[in-house]
Amino acid sequence: MINDYIQLAVRSLAKRRMRTYLTMIGIFIGISAVVALIGLGEGLRIAITSQFGFLGTDILSVQAASVSLAGPPGAGAPNPLSDELAEKIENINNVDMAFNRYMATATIEFRDQQKIEFVISVVSGENRRAFERMLNLKMQEGRMLTDRDTKGILLGDNYYKGATYGATFDRPIHAGDNVLINGKQFDVVGIIERKGSFIFDDAIWMNDDVIINEGIRDDDGTIDILGIRVKDPSRIEQTQEDVEKLLRKERGVKEGEEDFTVQTPQQALESLNSALFAVQLFVTIIALISLLVGGIGIMNTMYTAVLERTKEIGIMKSIGARNSTIFTLFAIESGFLGLVGGIIGIVLGLTLAYGMAFIGSLALGSGLIQANVSLGLILGSLAFSFILGTSFGVLPAIRASKLNPVDALRGNK
Amino acid sequence: MKTINLDEIKYALQNLWQRKRRSALSILSILIGITAVFALVSFGMGIKDYVDTLAEESGTNKLMISAKGIGAPGTDDTFSLTQDDIDFVEKINGIDEITGMYFKISEISFKDKNKYAYLMGMDMDKIEFIMEGMNINIEKGRELRKGDAYKAVLGYNYMLDNKIFSKGLQIGDKILIDDTKFEVIGFYSSVGNPSDDSQIYMTSGIFEQLYPDKKDKYSVIMASTEQGLETKAVADRITERLRKHKGQEEGKEDFYVQTFEDAIATFGTIINIINGVLVLIAMVSVVVASVNIMNTMYTAVLERTKEIGVMKAVGARNSDIMFIFLLESGVIGMIGGIIGVIMGYLVATTGGSYAAAAGFSALKPIFPWTLILGCILFAFLVGAGSGLLPAIRASKLHPVDSLRYE
Repeated sequence: MINDYIQLAVRSLAKRRMRTYLTMIGIFIGISAVVALIGLGEGLRIAITSQFGFLGTDILSVQAASVSLAGPPGAGAPNPLSDELAEKIENINNVDMAFNRYMATATIEFRDQQKIEFVISVVSGENRRAFERMLNLKMQEGRMLTDRDTKGILLGDNYYKGATYGATFDRPIHAGDNVLINGKQFDVVGIIERKGSFIFDDAIWMNDDVIINEGIRDDDGTIDILGIRVKDPSRIEQTQEDVEKLLRKERGVKEGEEDFTVQTPQQALESLNSALFAVQLFVTIIALISLLVGGIGIMNTMYTAVLERTKEIGIMKSIGARNSTIFTLFAIESGFLGLVGGIIGIVLGLTLAYGMAFIGSLALGSGLIQANVSLGLILGSLAFSFILGTSFGVLPAIRASKLNPVDALRGNK
Repeated sequence: MKTINLDEIKYALQNLWQRKRRSALSILSILIGITAVFALVSFGMGIKDYVDTLAEESGTNKLMISAKGIGAPGTDDTFSLTQDDIDFVEKINGIDEITGMYFKISEISFKDKNKYAYLMGMDMDKIEFIMEGMNINIEKGRELRKGDAYKAVLGYNYMLDNKIFSKGLQIGDKILIDDTKFEVIGFYSSVGNPSDDSQIYMTSGIFEQLYPDKKDKYSVIMASTEQGLETKAVADRITERLRKHKGQEEGKEDFYVQTFEDAIATFGTIINIINGVLVLIAMVSVVVASVNIMNTMYTAVLERTKEIGVMKAVGARNSDIMFIFLLESGVIGMIGGIIGVIMGYLVATTGGSYAAAAGFSALKPIFPWTLILGCILFAFLVGAGSGLLPAIRASKLHPVDSLRYE
């Protein structure tokens, strides 16, 4: 029975080939735009959020509050964190270790070229290995720092790549080269593997005692970020609360008026993620407009079909077709228009997304532009295009089903 | 050459009227796209207009010398500019006025609620120059004066309820700036973005008292050039001289000089690119609408095959038939364009008032005649263009075959 319906619907569509194609074009343009935009947006979101490397379920980071978007973490905070907090935090139950992190801006000079970049501290002492594991630091050249490296630094990949896009200096720096930082000579002992993020790839890394002793960051008893590792990740929320309580007491602020934040890396990412999501949503909505227009095209086509086939409908009704039969027939037809349009649209959209990502990554030499089309997106678009087709066909189908058989036979339009 | 025949126009319009629903749906499909395009472009033009006025009002003869660093001014004081730098630049040929500005992030408390804001310390001898450069003036209360101890003028947003503090501040209110009590004596007019409208202003004298370690560490120097000089050339001269003065080599400066025009133009370019991408995406729906119109017109040609045959048989030329069908699709486009412009206007003004409520009053759409007429003309051309192929088919129909068509 349902087979007959489908056959009949497909045959009617095939009879008006030009109209069917044009209607489908409307749908697949819209679907391909939506698939490509969501795919590229998703890829960009993953690329941006995965840059924060600091991911781990057992980590908390503490920062003093400041104006949002002021710059690197902790930049310009009116009440910076004190360097004595780490010790106190280590006494909290379930805290494995707490360590101070420093950031500073410095000039770096190599072969008569000078840039201003930022320096990040590496934890020295017994916690060094744990810190390296936490940030997942791997070397592509040279070696890691040791406690004895009072003049040694690590550099991010942008110093190593040389004169390609995004490189810091005209000429690549290798392990074993010398650079001047704030005018003082340092040895590059290693180059960190590319992370695809400016936080890692642009940074200069040195031991935390060196960054202070060499005067690159002021020794004023303050720190920029406090990192905490917990023993049992399943109790991280409790630990987070304990740390907040301690900091409230230490800094003399009331609950709800904290001038600091304690966050897991996931929480820190969430706000960024939601901002990116909002942008993606806006772009998708604009792209969805074209699908709405495509839907109107389906409706128009179906009204025309009902009009043209009035006589046919009259005949079907006079030999016993029920209203519901006529309705189903037309609904299948419009759903089919949507579905086929959707399939073609998805294929086109995939081509578009991956093609653009490929061209983009070639042109910019960065991994930031990539496409990520999930199975959910494909199935979702498919379902959506079918539903779109069917729902825009509902009104014409109702009209067809309600035609009076006698009038219809007479061809009264 | 074909002359336009009034009867043909009447006939085309009648046809549209006869197939009311189909015409309405075609009009609907194009008007949706035009609405989106019109609204987006009106925002784009509004921002461009804002940027242009900004450049004009704050003066094309102004430039900024900033200390290099990572992040926003005032957050990174690794490098800064000194009074000595200011005095030196002042003597450079072509400099008219010059002043150093302090920036710092500080904690603001009002009725036990704490917020973070940018603090700016200003030289009172140059206050008029600074106000002109920042393109703001006193909205309420009075301007800061030399010797105003522990008095502050606040950005526009402090006046509003539920913006920075739950209740808007009044003249005479006391606030704590990094635990020191200040009296609010005035509010500045709105700049149009939440960051600038949340700034706090005080005299540089008090700023230095409050933060002694920031004394003589200016984040930004603002200067203007004498009339008739090219600002860019003066900026280059400053870069060169100041570099030598500070004993730095080329490419190793710890400061950079930028004219206002360049800074604003860069901002404008970024906004334009973003807006352009959005308009492009919105254009996809216009393309789909054009396919719809084409479809409608093909159907119309099909349905009226016999009619066309009759018209041809009584002497209608190919060009007459073509004109009728082109006019039909063009009218669909134009009506869609007119309604689309009206809807777009409503969407844009609503969006603009939401943006203003959120503190982005710079995001204001404008509706010049060129945009309105341009959109309607564009919609007409899209309609006529989409109807071209069907119209050609109609005009080429063979009269005998068409008459026989069932």
